[in-house]
This record gives sequence, structure tokens and C-alpha cells, in this order.
Amino acid sequence: MNHHKSLAIFILLLSLILSYFSARSFLSMRENEKYYPSESNTKIKPLSDYFEGIKNTRGDTPVYLFENEQPGGTILILGGTHPDEPASNITTVCLMENLKISSGRVIIIPRANNSGFTHSDPQEGNPQRFYFKTKSGERWFRYGSRSTNPIDQWPDPEVYRHYPSGQKLSGAETRNLNRAYPGRPDGSLTEKITYAIMQLIKDEAVDLAIDIHEASPEYPVVNAIVTHPLAFDLTGEVVLYLQMEDFEFNLEQSPENFRGLSHREWGDHLQIPAILMETACAMHGRYHGSKNADKAITGLDRFYIEADKHELLSVPYPENGIPLKERVGRHLKTIQKILEIWNNYNPEKSIVVENIPDFFEMQEKGVGAFLVSGE
Amino acid sequence: MPLEFYVLLVMLTSFALAVFLGKFPIGVSLALSSIIGALVAGFGFPLRHLVEGTFAYLDPILIITSAMIFMEIIKETGALGEISRLIIIYLHNRPFWMLSLITLFIMFPGMITGLSTAAVLTTGAIVAPALMRLGIPRVQTGSIIAMAALFGMIAPPINVPVMIIGGGVDMPYIGFELPLLFASLPLAIITTTSIGYRYVKSVNIEKIKKDLPESQIDKHGFRLFLPILILIIFMLVTRLIPGKYTALGMPLIFAICCLSAFKSGKAFNYYKVTKRAIKNAMPVMGILVGIGIFIQIMTLTGVRGFLIVKTVQLPSFWLYVGIVVSLPIFGAISSYGASYVLGVPFLLALLGKSEIIVASGLTLIASLGDLMPPTALAGIFAAQVVGESNYFRILKNCLPYAAITALYGIGMILLANVLAKFLIL
Repeated sequence: MNHHKSLAIFILLLSLILSYFSARSFLSMRENEKYYPSESNTKIKPLSDYFEGIKNTRGDTPVYLFENEQPGGTILILGGTHPDEPASNITTVCLMENLKISSGRVIIIPRANNSGFTHSDPQEGNPQRFYFKTKSGERWFRYGSRSTNPIDQWPDPEVYRHYPSGQKLSGAETRNLNRAYPGRPDGSLTEKITYAIMQLIKDEAVDLAIDIHEASPEYPVVNAIVTHPLAFDLTGEVVLYLQMEDFEFNLEQSPENFRGLSHREWGDHLQIPAILMETACAMHGRYHGSKNADKAITGLDRFYIEADKHELLSVPYPENGIPLKERVGRHLKTIQKILEIWNNYNPEKSIVVENIPDFFEMQEKGVGAFLVSGE
Repeated sequence: MPLEFYVLLVMLTSFALAVFLGKFPIGVSLALSSIIGALVAGFGFPLRHLVEGTFAYLDPILIITSAMIFMEIIKETGALGEISRLIIIYLHNRPFWMLSLITLFIMFPGMITGLSTAAVLTTGAIVAPALMRLGIPRVQTGSIIAMAALFGMIAPPINVPVMIIGGGVDMPYIGFELPLLFASLPLAIITTTSIGYRYVKSVNIEKIKKDLPESQIDKHGFRLFLPILILIIFMLVTRLIPGKYTALGMPLIFAICCLSAFKSGKAFNYYKVTKRAIKNAMPVMGILVGIGIFIQIMTLTGVRGFLIVKTVQLPSFWLYVGIVVSLPIFGAISSYGASYVLGVPFLLALLGKSEIIVASGLTLIASLGDLMPPTALAGIFAAQVVGESNYFRILKNCLPYAAITALYGIGMILLANVLAKFLIL
């Protein structure tokens, strides 16, 4: 056997060994974290119950219904539209594991883009999991990708044309759940998921809907509530009250000429007040330093501190960073305020939810204190 | 200096040592320097990140491979030679219009796919023999093809880097047609005529005719052009009638066109042609894999953030210098990557100016990355289609035009608000 053949065989064998170990790592992304919903949880349904087209795909995802015999309105809360925005999924988990319903219904989808939780974005260097200490041990949560897994939807076109507007975006956006509303039954997997969510809103007669997000600190729309015109009065009052309590929020109207966004299409197509909320996540932007699971929790990055000093950011970035407990706390506080104001104006459709983790208590005890200890 | 600076230094030094002392291929050298960088930064041997990085450019790799096979096949069938013959016979006596039309022809695939390589490897490969027979030297022909392909990538209707920047700031792809035409078309015509006009202003057609390849159209009829026709139809249909059934993707379109080439012209051995094409494409595929790993490790270790945060905090004048230098250099990795990583912070740093014009100017500058080594996708493939073994000769010839392009892009950014009054309807 000549030298070249031996080298080729050696490289082939080495590749096989490396493939085996890396495949194990990639496949571990398909393992789901466990949730422990509160006693108010009455049903867990697959999203495919609302649209069969996503059954037996990784687009299907559990829908948690929290109900009380006392009638009232229905709110839908979405986490994990972008699985690389940890405060989004964790806010919904904190809600699910703590809330008590006195009237009305709360529907929560903690992994809206379930497929996006099964992979990570090349070139981003993100961790696969991050961890919380709970009363009796550690719980892990998934750090996923912004988009649907290409294993489930591939290839991307060079240009993504949004249905039905025809708006053009870069091809990779074809797998972005928050660019795919209202979706269609015969479209891509991402469009089918958004179509299923639209069907859920119709079938469950949802009165109010919230989509939870995070953005980079340099992004112009951050620490913000983005609102469809139908929710403008409600969110205007919410922001006013939050500012009175020293929570800085920007109120942004849902842009009319940017299509595919949850709040815009929910409001336009289904005539419901629709809201999107953003907090600032340092793992997200372009200025971040090295990445690891701890940073997902601490939100502390020295390059962002430097960027803030040079006024490159849209929000203040303090020396101790913007930790996950603060971002989750802000989202929970906002949801609480939205419900309060909603109930004031819609007594016949009130949604009374108790035991939402308090912002200040969360800053003191951390997120882990509000998570069920698990097995 | 922070740790990230030293990690960058180690990565660059080990890369240079691997290339120049170790004589490793560029792709392998990039992978080795990434492993060393990760070790120095304290991340051990991050196998998952190394493998994840290799997949970053899977789609371009598939497009390049299938396009290379297509190009080799239409060369074998005689279609390339025939088009070259027709261009020379019908257009030799109108040199300015001939060059302008050829420029638009080369740009066309880039305009509708947003990929400079698609332009170089299809229409670029088609016109290359004609331009060389008309008397334009090999290096100048390669330069015309490379530069026209870059401008094709920037020209409307499809400019992917602008879409990528837009995606980062939620700016819809609306109102870009005129700004992008302004950014690309005048420069394209000026560049190609500057490079080629002096060679084609007076040609001795009788002498050239003697050297032309034998007409294949007489033997095979118009079916000779069937693969090219199918390519054009598919490219147009996928964009004019976008839908589930027309979204085939460039690799599949090229594969269908390759299959249609059987019996269209001279017979060829599919296995041999494919093997040759893949062998030619292998170095670039290796570089793309290596670059994917390199960026992944730069991101993981914080080197990427370090570079960006230092660049965007430059004072006004130096910010523009930073744009001219860093966008093409980072674009050497990938112009799409440069738009994603640097384009968005630069746009945010320039808020107050018309975002549409600024994004158009930034992508014009970022496109130059496709000329820059080590990847130099447009440049290296342009060298391949003209048969030039030393890509750097093409780069050297393109440099003045690249500099003009960069200055033009900066001019657009500086005058963004004035231009916006005329170009944004």
C-alpha cells in the first residue's frame, strides 16, 4: 500500500471517529427539557390538534392550557419563537410552573418553534444548554437557534418571499417563525407552524396574544413593547404605569410595511390586540465576547460595557450586565401589568392570574427559585 | 490588550506558519489555526464547534460544485465555443455596445441569484472564449468577468447582502431598485470598457475567424443550447413565479441542466467530466470549510466581538477607513458573512443617513470581498474560466477598479441623504 492510500485511510478513519462523537453531540439537541406545569394546568395538547399538517414533524409542539371554571377571556403567550432568546422560553416556563387561575384561560406555547430548539446556528458559537440551580438541584434548558432546523426545512431559497404579501427578505429568513405569519397550510414547515398558531387563535377564541422576544442591546427596538394598533390603548397605559414604577420601556407601533411579524399579522388577520415584547440579550448582538452557558444567565459581557461607553447601544448596559433574572422579571412584570389593565377595561372577559413571580423577588432569589425542583 | 487580541494573533500566526512552512492547503491551515486558537483561549478541543463551522457554507459549496460540473459539460458539448463564435461574428464591429452587452450578460445570473460565483461560472464562462479570441488578454478577460460578476451580485432585483443587513435591523427590501442600479451599473460599464475597449476597438475579423472553433450549430441545431436555455428558464421561473414547486434551488437546477446536456452536442463522458470539475472545485470547497471553522472559533472565543467593537468605535474619518478596509477583508471570508457581521453595526453607527443608500453603499464595498484572498470566490473562478493559473495576476489588474468601487461606495454613504432625494421614489 503506498503512502497516499495509507494517509487517505487514516484520514477516513479519523473522520468517522470524529463524526461519531460530534453526531452524539448534535443528536443530544433533540432531547427536550422537562416542564412541571402548575395545578391550574388542565390540558396539554399538541399544536397539530389545530392543524394536522404538522403532525409527526418537529414543528409540532405542546400547547399548555390553564383554565378555571370561572368564565373570562383567553390570553395566548408564546415563548421560544426564537429559541436563541433564552428569556423568552424561560418566562413562559416560570409562568407555567407558578400561575394560579381565578378566572379565564391562559394558553402557553413555551417552544413555539420546536424545530429551532433542536439545533444551533453555525458561526454563532452558542452553548447547547444553560443551567439553573433550584431548591433541590440543577435543571437545564435548551439554547437553540433563531430558525427552523435545516434538517426539517431545506434548502433555503436565495430570496424569501413572504406569503401573501410577496415582501422579499434574505433566503435564511424563510425559516424565521416571526417572518412567516399568517402562514399557509401547503407552505414550508415554518409557514405551517404559523398557520397552526393562527388556527389555534381562531379555534380557542383568543382575546389577547403576546409573543415574547429578546434582541441585541444595539438593536433599535429593545426594552420595548411593540404593539398592533388594536392594542395601542392597552399597551400605552401599560407603559405609562411601568414607567411610574421606574421600568423604562419604549412603546413601538407594529410597522405596517413589514410583514410576517406575529403582532402585525395576528392583529390584521384575526382582529385581536397583539403584542410583542423585547428585552436586551448580550449573547445576541455583534459586539459580544466569548460565549458560554454562564453568560446566558449572567448576561455580562465586557465588550458590551465598552460599546455602551462609546454610545453604540440602544439601551443602557450597566457594569454588572443585564442578567437573565432581570430580563425574565421584566417580561413577567409586563405580562402582569397587561392583564391588570386588560381586566380593568374588559371585566366580562377578565383573566385573573395569581402567583406570577414578582420582579424584585426574582432579582433577590434568582430565576431558579421560581422553577419547580424537578426529579 | 485583552486576551482576544492574543488569541487572534496566535490564530493568524499559526495560519501563516501552516501555509508557508507546513505547506498545508489553505482550508487545512485554517482548521489547524482554529484548533490552536480554541486551545489557547481555554476552550480545549471544541469538536462540536469545529464540525458546526464546517456546515456554515454547505449551500455555497453545493452551488459551486454543481455549477462547475455544468460549466465543464457545456464546454465539452461545444455550446461554449459556439456562443463565443456567434458573439464575435455579430458584434465585433460595435465594440462599445459589445462590451456593454457582454457586461450585462455576465451580470445577469448575479442579478437574479445574488451570487457572484453564479455569474462567473455561467455567463462568465460563456463569454470568456469570445473575449480572448477578440484579443483581450487572459488576465484582462478574467478581470472583466470577476468585476462584472461583483456588480451583478450588487445590482437589483436581488442583492442578498442588503437583505442580510436589512434582516439585522428589520428593514424590508423595498425601494432598493434605483439605489442598487446606481451603485452597480455605471461602475460596471466604466470598469469593463476601461479594461477591454482598447483591445477590441479595431479587430481583424478575418484573422480571428480562421481560429474560431468549428460551428457546432450546423451539426446539432439549436438543441446545442438546450442546457443553457433550461438554466435561464429555471432561473427566471423560480423568481417570476415563486412557489413551492418552483423553489428548486441552484444545485438541483444545475443538475437538471447537466442531464439535459446529453445528446445536445458533442458526446462526453459524464464520469470523467464530473471528476475533473470536482477536482477543480476542491480547493475552494476546502477553503470554505476552513473559513466556516475559523469564524466559528473566532465567535466562540470572542475574537469576532473584539474586532467589531474596536472597528465601530472609530471616530468619523477612521470609521470610513474602517469600512473600506474591514468590509472587503472580512468579505474575503464571505461577502455575506461581512454583511452579517459588520454591515449591521456599520449601518447602526451611521444612523441619521438614509439607511437604504447606506446599506447599498456598504454592500457595494462588501462585494469586493469576493475578490480578496484566500477565498476570492469571484476572482479564483474567473481565473479558472479563462485558464489563468495565477489568480493574483487578476487581483492585481482589478485593484484600481476595486479602489474606485470602494470610493464610490463611500461617496454614496457620505452623500446618502442627497442621493436619497433622487433615488428613493
